[in-house]
Amino acid sequence: MSENTLIGKPEIRVDAWSKVTGQAEYIADFPLEDVHFGYVLRSPHPHASIRRIDIAKALQIEGVLDVITIEDVPGEKIVGDIIPDRPVLAQEKVRLVGEPVAIVVATSKYVAEQGGKAVKVDYQPLIPVFDPVQALEEGAPLVHASGNLVSHIEVQDGDPKAGFQEADLILEETFYVPHIYPGYLEPEAAQAQWNPDGSLIVWVSSQKPFHDRHLICQVLGLPEEKVIVRVATVGGAFGGKEDSSLAILAALAAWKTKTTVRLVNTREESLLAHPKRHSGQLHYKAGFKKDGTLVTMQVTSYLDTGAYASYGPAVGQLHSEVVTGPYKVPNVRVDTYVVYTNSPIAGAMRGFGAPQANFAAESLMDIAAGKLGIHPVDLRRKNIWRPGDRSYTRVRINQAESLQLSLEIAEKEYRRLKEIPASPGKVSGVGLSLSVQTMGLGFRVPDDSAHALEWLPDGRVRLYLGAPELGQGLMTVAAQITADALGLSLDKIEIALLDTSQVPDGGVSCASRMTYSVGNATIMASRQLIQGLIEEAAKLLDVEPAALYYEKGHVVRKDRPDLAPIPVSEITSRLAENGQILKRQAVFSFPYGPETPDHLPIGMPHVLFCFGAHVIRVEVDPELGTIEPKEIVAIHDVGKIINRSTLEGQVEGAISMGLGYALMEEMKLKPDGKWVDNLTEYLLPTIMDMPPIIKTVFLEVPEESGPHGAKGIGEMGLTPVASAVANAVYDAIGVRVKAIPIRPEAIIKSK
Amino acid sequence: MQRIQVSLKVNGKKYRLETPPNRTLLEVLREDLGLTGAKDGCSSGECGACTVLLDGRAVNSCLVLIGSADGHSIETVEGLQKAGMPHPLQKAFVEKGAVQCGFCTPGMLMAAKALLDQNPKPDEEQIRTALAGNLCRCTGYTKIIDAVQEAAKELRYE
Ligand code: FES
Ligand code: FES
Repeated sequence: MSENTLIGKPEIRVDAWSKVTGQAEYIADFPLEDVHFGYVLRSPHPHASIRRIDIAKALQIEGVLDVITIEDVPGEKIVGDIIPDRPVLAQEKVRLVGEPVAIVVATSKYVAEQGGKAVKVDYQPLIPVFDPVQALEEGAPLVHASGNLVSHIEVQDGDPKAGFQEADLILEETFYVPHIYPGYLEPEAAQAQWNPDGSLIVWVSSQKPFHDRHLICQVLGLPEEKVIVRVATVGGAFGGKEDSSLAILAALAAWKTKTTVRLVNTREESLLAHPKRHSGQLHYKAGFKKDGTLVTMQVTSYLDTGAYASYGPAVGQLHSEVVTGPYKVPNVRVDTYVVYTNSPIAGAMRGFGAPQANFAAESLMDIAAGKLGIHPVDLRRKNIWRPGDRSYTRVRINQAESLQLSLEIAEKEYRRLKEIPASPGKVSGVGLSLSVQTMGLGFRVPDDSAHALEWLPDGRVRLYLGAPELGQGLMTVAAQITADALGLSLDKIEIALLDTSQVPDGGVSCASRMTYSVGNATIMASRQLIQGLIEEAAKLLDVEPAALYYEKGHVVRKDRPDLAPIPVSEITSRLAENGQILKRQAVFSFPYGPETPDHLPIGMPHVLFCFGAHVIRVEVDPELGTIEPKEIVAIHDVGKIINRSTLEGQVEGAISMGLGYALMEEMKLKPDGKWVDNLTEYLLPTIMDMPPIIKTVFLEVPEESGPHGAKGIGEMGLTPVASAVANAVYDAIGVRVKAIPIRPEAIIKSK
Repeated sequence: MQRIQVSLKVNGKKYRLETPPNRTLLEVLREDLGLTGAKDGCSSGECGACTVLLDGRAVNSCLVLIGSADGHSIETVEGLQKAGMPHPLQKAFVEKGAVQCGFCTPGMLMAAKALLDQNPKPDEEQIRTALAGNLCRCTGYTKIIDAVQEAAKELRYE
């Protein structure tokens, strides 16, 4: 189709040149003139009460402007993403190592740090609790006075008890997943500027500038028009930058000192104090018939949300929705407990509760297959959702056929990889798993995304993108869809700085929803912009709008085919002379169709799913216990490829993160009572850890509500990796690992 | 604090400056010379985001005390373009989709340049070894390897 020329092309990223030349500006790169530096004094204790904070000495240091504590907060002192439970700065007690206690503002980062050392905090250590199951026991130390249970998600469908009576095989297994670190290369940063009129400009490295603004206003007691949030280049986010803490602290410091204050976290602060993926224990009990039919499932998960809830309750819900895998199960009982402990805060991270569930559910399917003597592929084929099925949360499954398609391709790849011989001294194994990831924020959760387009006097179009680019390629995909909708070349689209006073609210960049929501909104805005153009052109030309139509940057006169098409710039520049702007804004609201039943067993279920399958070949060294991934085939239904290059980039990056989850990463409490707090102890995958071959296979089963049929991909590439690795390890050496990361010790011990 | 005098040649340009001795090359490049291409991802030699070339060798500039850079020649990402022309590595990173958030990119480019300057025809293993100290959380490295191979080809006029 000629009008679809840009869709699917591996267009070069619009921000690539600025990034390879070093010109892209992250917050820490901003000019240093007239900037003060904040040092955040953080708790060394996982749990302690604060008797006294003495700032007098620090204030005497030359160059220290101020020392700010919770007493200085003029508005709400306790805020939160879902539950207001987190003091802006510690109040009476600290609940985790790294919790901010005070901010020292000084003329240089060196002096600020000196000031930090001079602040004396008198702590009374309290007994901490780090295990979510223990935290729920009678008499456990209370992290919050309200109790340690944040939320209990309880869902039942069918009759699980009767299901177990019907079952020929009943399996009970417990799986353990660790706290892990999003690990973006750019540590959190924020810079806030106080203006003499009392307003603030806050630069953030964030996924959610509009929420940041909201929280800053709450904390400072300012109306929203007094606070402008701007997004700098973001050096990766992965869910972890859905946390406003540093932006709030910078705004508070600037407001209090009436200056400009920059806060840049060290890697240690980033590791200790900012949100992680939830660790947890997942207990499964499942019943199968002899022929492999899955009849019942009972899952109890304990998710450790750490000291503050962050997005924990929502993570717990999504986790519950996908905890049974992409399978038809007539009888289900799910209990998910989201629990406070004194661990690092856990919140949003790529996958949002699904990777934990996937590791368990897809390991369980292989265990069951082994016990039933059925091939893992056949067991899955028997139970996967089919078109017309509903999930146990009673949501109609979209594109269920892509599960079957994924499985068929996975089976072929599985057989191909099984044929590859192991290297000398190694044992080869192949593992497979299916993946389900949701899109969007959930039924009844406001999930709007607004964006605007302006046709400039020179004929170019400015896209007011209302949600941040994080590195994933959103700007490029949005520009591509817009250019395509307007019949323009990509270089005719420019993207405005994300400034909350200039762009509409595009929502949070998260939840595998950006291509989908932003794509839809920009297509709508493009149509409106063309309509507006025709109306204005008609007025200028003094003809009826019906006499005109738009084509590829030109207005064409139907009534005068003899006249040359008029370039849009001729019209928009005339409008500009009259002081008129041609701009249109569109809001896309995530559709929760009429078929979504009102009475749902779970409150706010997601209603669109993405499916895929991964097949992994590993080589295990039976002596050393080391596991080397050799080849990964990632099969994903994306509905429609918008940009093949950024799409592959999303999946390849997610795979490396998934391998980290499977094999290396863990926020561990060391024997000395300290958390790992550097990248020597917390291992992120390097280029050496990546398999020689990564193959991506994309299915295009269109989602009718998606732009050109597209669905999300941001998270799904990570979700099935750990289970596929565990299944491959079992295939290689017959050791079933039920805890990740899978360490060599675990392999050797269980031999 | 007592200050020391340091001369540096950075991207071909000579600088003389005075600085307290406890600062790193990375701090001086970013704060005194305004060359913010090299990034601070950990300040402790663990991530490679701060990689620059010191006399042609890739180093973590966050670990180089400024005194030990005295009299040496430094190359940073800002010096990769010559006469407005991008370096083949820059071009290949752009064209092969090896850039996502971009925070690792300047360090990756410099580590890759050190490799290609010495070894015009590296195999995949040699590329991996040369970039082993540079973390990237976004790309999964696949496209970075492609890009380095592509740039090597272009540099060899193949
Ligand atoms: S900043 Fe130098 S290695 Fe990380
Ligand atoms: S592109 Fe983001 S860390 Fe490499």
